[in-house]
Amino acid sequence: MTAPEKNAKTTPKPTRFLLFLGCAIPYRVSSYEISTRKVLQQLGIELVEMPEYNCCGLPIDPVNHSMTLTLAARNLCLAEQQGLSIIALCPGCAGTLRKVNKKLKENKELKEEINGYLKATGLEFKGTIEAKHVLQLLVEDVGLEKIKASVKTPLTRLKVSEHAGCHVTRPADSVDFENPEDPQALKDLVEATGAEYVEYVDKLACCGAPIAGVNDRIPLQLTKEKLTHIRNAGAHAMVTVCPFCHMMFDTNQPRIERLFNETLRIPVLHYPQLLGLAMGFSPEELALKALRVDATQIVSRISGKEDAS
Amino acid sequence: MTEEKPRIGVFVCHCGLNIAGVIDVKDLTDYARSLPDVFFAKDNRYTCADPGQDEIRKAIKENKLNRVVVAACSPRMHEPTFRKTCAEADLNPFFFEMANIREFSSWCHPSTPEEATEKAKEIVRMAVAKARLLQPLKEIEVPVTNKALVIGGGIAGINSALDLAEMGFKVYLLEKTESIGGHMAQLDKTFPTLDCSICIEGPKMVDVGRHSNIEIISYADLISVSGYVGNFKVKIKKKPRYIIADNCTGCGECRDVCPIEYPNEWDVNMGVRKAISVPFEQAVPLVYSINLDHCIECYKCVDSCGARQAINFDQEPEEIELDVGAIIVATGFDIYMPYDDPLYGYGKYDNVITALEFERLILAAGPTGGKVIRASDGKKPHSVAFIQCVGSRNLKKYEYCSGFCCMYALKNAILLKEKYKEDVEVYVLYMDMRTPFKGYEEFYRRARDLGVTFIRGRASHIIEDSQTKNLNIRAEDMTLGQPIELPAEMVVLCTAAVPKTDAGDLARILSISRDANGFFMESHPKLKPIDTPVDGIFVAGACQAPKDIPYSVSQGSGAAARAATILSKDKWKIEPIVAEVTPELCRNTRVKCGICADRCPYGSIEAIENQPAKVVTAMCHGCGTCVAECPADAIIQKHFTDEQIFAQIEEALKKNPEGKILGLLCNWCCYAGADLAGTSRFEYPPLIRPIRVMCSGRVDRDFVLEAFRRGAGMVMIGACHLPYDCHYISGNLRMKARMDALAPMLEKLGLSPHRFRVEYVSAAEGLKYAELMKEMAEKLDELGPEKIKAENAKLKPILDRMLAKKRPQKAQSSK
Amino acid sequence: MSKTQSNPRERPSETAKKGLRAKSGEETAEISATAPIRAQEFDPHFKHEVSKTHGGEKLKQCFQCGTCTSDCPIARFSDSYRPRTLIRMTLLGLKDRVLTSETLWLCAACFTCTDRCPQDVEVASVIRILRNTAVEKGYMPQIFKELGSSILETGVAYRIPDLRLKKRAQIGLPPLPKGNPEAMTKLAKATGFSKLLKRGEQA
Ligand SMILES: Cc1cc2nc3c(=O)[nH]c(=O)nc-3n(C[C@H](O)[C@H](O)[C@H](O)COP(=O)(O)OP(=O)(O)OC[C@H]3O[C@@H](n4cnc5c(N)ncnc54)[C@H](O)[C@@H]3O)c2cc1C
Ligand code: SF4
Ligand code: SF4
Ligand code: SF4
Ligand code: SF4
Repeated sequence: MTAPEKNAKTTPKPTRFLLFLGCAIPYRVSSYEISTRKVLQQLGIELVEMPEYNCCGLPIDPVNHSMTLTLAARNLCLAEQQGLSIIALCPGCAGTLRKVNKKLKENKELKEEINGYLKATGLEFKGTIEAKHVLQLLVEDVGLEKIKASVKTPLTRLKVSEHAGCHVTRPADSVDFENPEDPQALKDLVEATGAEYVEYVDKLACCGAPIAGVNDRIPLQLTKEKLTHIRNAGAHAMVTVCPFCHMMFDTNQPRIERLFNETLRIPVLHYPQLLGLAMGFSPEELALKALRVDATQIVSRISGKEDAS
Repeated sequence: MTEEKPRIGVFVCHCGLNIAGVIDVKDLTDYARSLPDVFFAKDNRYTCADPGQDEIRKAIKENKLNRVVVAACSPRMHEPTFRKTCAEADLNPFFFEMANIREFSSWCHPSTPEEATEKAKEIVRMAVAKARLLQPLKEIEVPVTNKALVIGGGIAGINSALDLAEMGFKVYLLEKTESIGGHMAQLDKTFPTLDCSICIEGPKMVDVGRHSNIEIISYADLISVSGYVGNFKVKIKKKPRYIIADNCTGCGECRDVCPIEYPNEWDVNMGVRKAISVPFEQAVPLVYSINLDHCIECYKCVDSCGARQAINFDQEPEEIELDVGAIIVATGFDIYMPYDDPLYGYGKYDNVITALEFERLILAAGPTGGKVIRASDGKKPHSVAFIQCVGSRNLKKYEYCSGFCCMYALKNAILLKEKYKEDVEVYVLYMDMRTPFKGYEEFYRRARDLGVTFIRGRASHIIEDSQTKNLNIRAEDMTLGQPIELPAEMVVLCTAAVPKTDAGDLARILSISRDANGFFMESHPKLKPIDTPVDGIFVAGACQAPKDIPYSVSQGSGAAARAATILSKDKWKIEPIVAEVTPELCRNTRVKCGICADRCPYGSIEAIENQPAKVVTAMCHGCGTCVAECPADAIIQKHFTDEQIFAQIEEALKKNPEGKILGLLCNWCCYAGADLAGTSRFEYPPLIRPIRVMCSGRVDRDFVLEAFRRGAGMVMIGACHLPYDCHYISGNLRMKARMDALAPMLEKLGLSPHRFRVEYVSAAEGLKYAELMKEMAEKLDELGPEKIKAENAKLKPILDRMLAKKRPQKAQSSK
Repeated sequence: MSKTQSNPRERPSETAKKGLRAKSGEETAEISATAPIRAQEFDPHFKHEVSKTHGGEKLKQCFQCGTCTSDCPIARFSDSYRPRTLIRMTLLGLKDRVLTSETLWLCAACFTCTDRCPQDVEVASVIRILRNTAVEKGYMPQIFKELGSSILETGVAYRIPDLRLKKRAQIGLPPLPKGNPEAMTKLAKATGFSKLLKRGEQA
């Protein structure tokens, strides 16, 4: 506990945040929400429910950019009223909220335009809070030291790959988090659990999820290619931090296996599930059952080590 | 002194349509004619051309003009031209003043011709007001030291040195590394003729080493430069080689016995050298050195050197001082090492190398004996891809085109094809193939003819096969419009040519400027491409911008010729725009003052106790900092006197002052940046009325106060960037200290904070200047004239009082 | 090898096709991307329009290097989707061709192109502008209508079934906040979103 104490002395980091769930997570990826809540609570982060929020705006950006900006701005205004910064689990939401927050803070004209739209609902964007993705919260506000200290059973026998998802870092200019061409955060976080991090070819490539619905084949092909690389690199499992990526890699994995006649069987965990396992939560507490690709093999891999020790 | 009444002639230039296309030149000329003391006004199509100059000379004679104003381009362009014109008509050249209505009006306000004309009128009125108060000055003659310093021993510096030496001047050739030669010594063949590089450069290096007029000072750094054209004092520090150069015969017996090897940087770390060695066989001077970081002090070398006794482990760094009359900067470039670009995997993938590494590979005398092999397995690649514009033409890295990489890629592609024929497939991924000069396009055809495959498309990233270490290049083949994955066994990155890492330090030592990309800046991009803004200092070769060998050689010779214009004379005339103390006003006779001596960046003022301070004229660079610092207003700067500047302020703010920005711009940075905004045709609102001072250090608090007293909407001081960009070392720092004290006082007196600004704009920041003007115009608009008037009204009595004390004195000092 | 492994020719899914019809009135014929370009197709002003829109400012800096297409994940697996080509058509002023192009709807908005463009063109944002413009002209894939109307009615893009909400309570997750359809309607009206959605429905 000495390290976090030392950190605390320099600048006290906020520990209360508004949780922005967005559309996709409550719709079908509760396991991400459940595990995140567990893990963050353990790390001393208090999550406050976001009142009356709406879609971050991203899904309808192709239709009308002004509406996207306005929807995002409304969420930011609600958070401003609470005086709390936002944590989003979906990188699409986080990215959109961050981007709009930044753009409106920087661009007076744009702010005026959007405030003009918001007026009808009695809201006004002021620019007093921040918005982040949970990954950024973990590395910046909680800190790797504290996360490492929270690990009870290091997952040393596990080889883990990842797909962070484009919107965690892109577009770099407005998301303003880490270098999208050489991201470190998720790698560090995987390593913090004690697991061995596995690199693979084309790690930074998109999974294609956003166009599922307009065209299904391409996303499936993209995901298949990535899964194949991950398999070939020898990973036992992979993690994501995005409900849409997760849908591509986990939910669609059996379909990909069928369509392309491949055997993949790669469990895809939400990162908080992986961390949760290392913290000593049970698979049930972390809703591991909800995963489409069976993850029991990795649980036994971890516990196998426990037995040995 | 001339007490005769001013008879001013004003000449308004059309500059073709450059001015006349926007400004109503007739109206402007009529207006000029109506100004007091103006006896003659005329417009010309091109005032700087012969007929235009004739007209000025004729008018001076016929109308007995004793002051001339030319309303045309920037004084940074043609002031010297017209001064000469006046002199030819027997008018003292300092009776000339220029009104910059092109860069400052027609070029930057093309869509508001009426306002541009109005602004031009005021600029002319300001110039006429200054002209009225001009005094004749006599140019100062200084002696010239007929020796030159050439900094950098690459092919450019070698040519400068040889040419000057042949003309009979003594040349010191300062080289940072152990040997002269520069990049050219590292190359294999040279385009477009494929001569062996060291075979053609080597003899020149030897000539340099042997020439009785050239002294090579190698393995040494420039520490400081002081003085001025014709009379520079240079301090150099020689790094210890632990070898006594005079005793070393270059036999290399010591190297043979030395047990220690370390990576040879000169060989791009692909080969090794001994702890006692020369970087390459043809090194000039052929003097060995010991690298103490690697030496284990076994002293075997000492034994083998024996009676020659050339080794001395106690050698210390040595400082030497030189006097020279001119300096040529030829420090070349660095290549960009793309470690920071994860997409190409340089430093991560074994078989991705830079072009300079490739040169060392294919060179017969190189570390692999001329075999092109892969670092991963020592095997010859069957396919090699050259990737162009790595780091160049990329707004995230270096915006400019590096100029010679297309050509050297062609060269290396041809060499590969000629060497391995159909055994190697060669690809070049490019966006545009740039082959403009003599023999270059033919060279491109030769490459195609040999079967090199050209793919138009930028390589976006590279993937390595972890097993085979082969590479997979992603790009779009633009001609097909399809993404491609190109397999290659070796990739050569043609990386950007970038400014030397120490270019900033050198610029500071020499007081020369750098452009937006970090290369040294020329005095004028077209007409003075070899001169720097500092008289007597010239640039040559790739330190000014990426240049290939023929171009660097030409510029090296050009710089030698430019330097010779100074070195060949016994005396050189320098501008008499110096500071002068009026002894009766100096308070140093009564109290211990000496502020001026303390603040002068050049230490050119003597303030001996109980005596009036005195400026050593030959040492004064004419920044005017002391003038603004003197609490007794006892110093004047010739040609930039307080009266003259007060008169300009008065005229600038006669009409509608609250809608205007009064600018006090330093000649070297902000004024030049403003010129560039005009040259680049960046449009901005025409609110500023600029007054040129040589240095921001000259800006007296009283100028600011006077401007607000006269109702200015805003006052802006435009200076060189802090801390080191000032052309006069520290004038901008002095100005800043002064204004940091003034700003809060003005705010306390009720001035809105944005109305007084100090801005730092470099000569390369035309865009920044234009943006600044837009932003200030917005602020001015936000404040509104009423608020400004109200603030000024409140301020006026206080400023009246503050300035009243000084005004009569000022009138006196002008006598 | 299974037949699914061969790279199937691309066909936009039925859902995508459904919405993509220009509405009557200013009937614009769909022009295939590979058809020869005729004189009457050029609208040289188009590039200025796009670059005046938020996100399109740098469009004209494009020097056609192909980085965007090369690194586009979609282009890697598509026979027709090429971001650079969309930029090119926009710069040339082939307005109708680009706005009616079905491939316009294939961008995943991953922003790889934006991050990697050496000339700072915000490629993905330009594509968004093109899509917004196409929507104004009455082209919109079905899926966006569904997302849009769900947002107007519930505040979120996917209608969450009651069963799910009950399940949340069962597993101890806090209840979801209620949506505010009233606010959504007001905002949609102010931004013009509702009008666009209606136009899309009529199509
Ligand atoms: C891979 C590659 C291949 C090329 N092939 C060709 C070709 O085939 N044909 C062709 O025409 N051009 C070629 N070029 C370009 C060629 O290298 C340049 O044109 C040439 O080197 C420029 O000469 P320079 O003297 O200006 O600079 P440099 O060669 O860089 O020499 C500068 C010298 O100044 C010294 N120096 C630097 N800083 C200081 C300091 N502060 N104090 C003292 N000394 C200093 C350096 O040590 C160096 O000796 C190639 C370039 C590269 C990178
Ligand atoms: S010379 Fe050729 S390779 Fe080099 S930056 Fe220019 S275009 Fe690119
Ligand atoms: S600052 Fe002025 S008063 Fe003081 S010594 Fe210098 S000239 Fe004299
Ligand atoms: S990457 Fe940028 S410059 Fe290159 S083609 Fe695409 S938009 Fe144009
Ligand atoms: S944002 Fe769109 S065009 Fe750009 S790389 Fe991603 S999918 Fe391709």
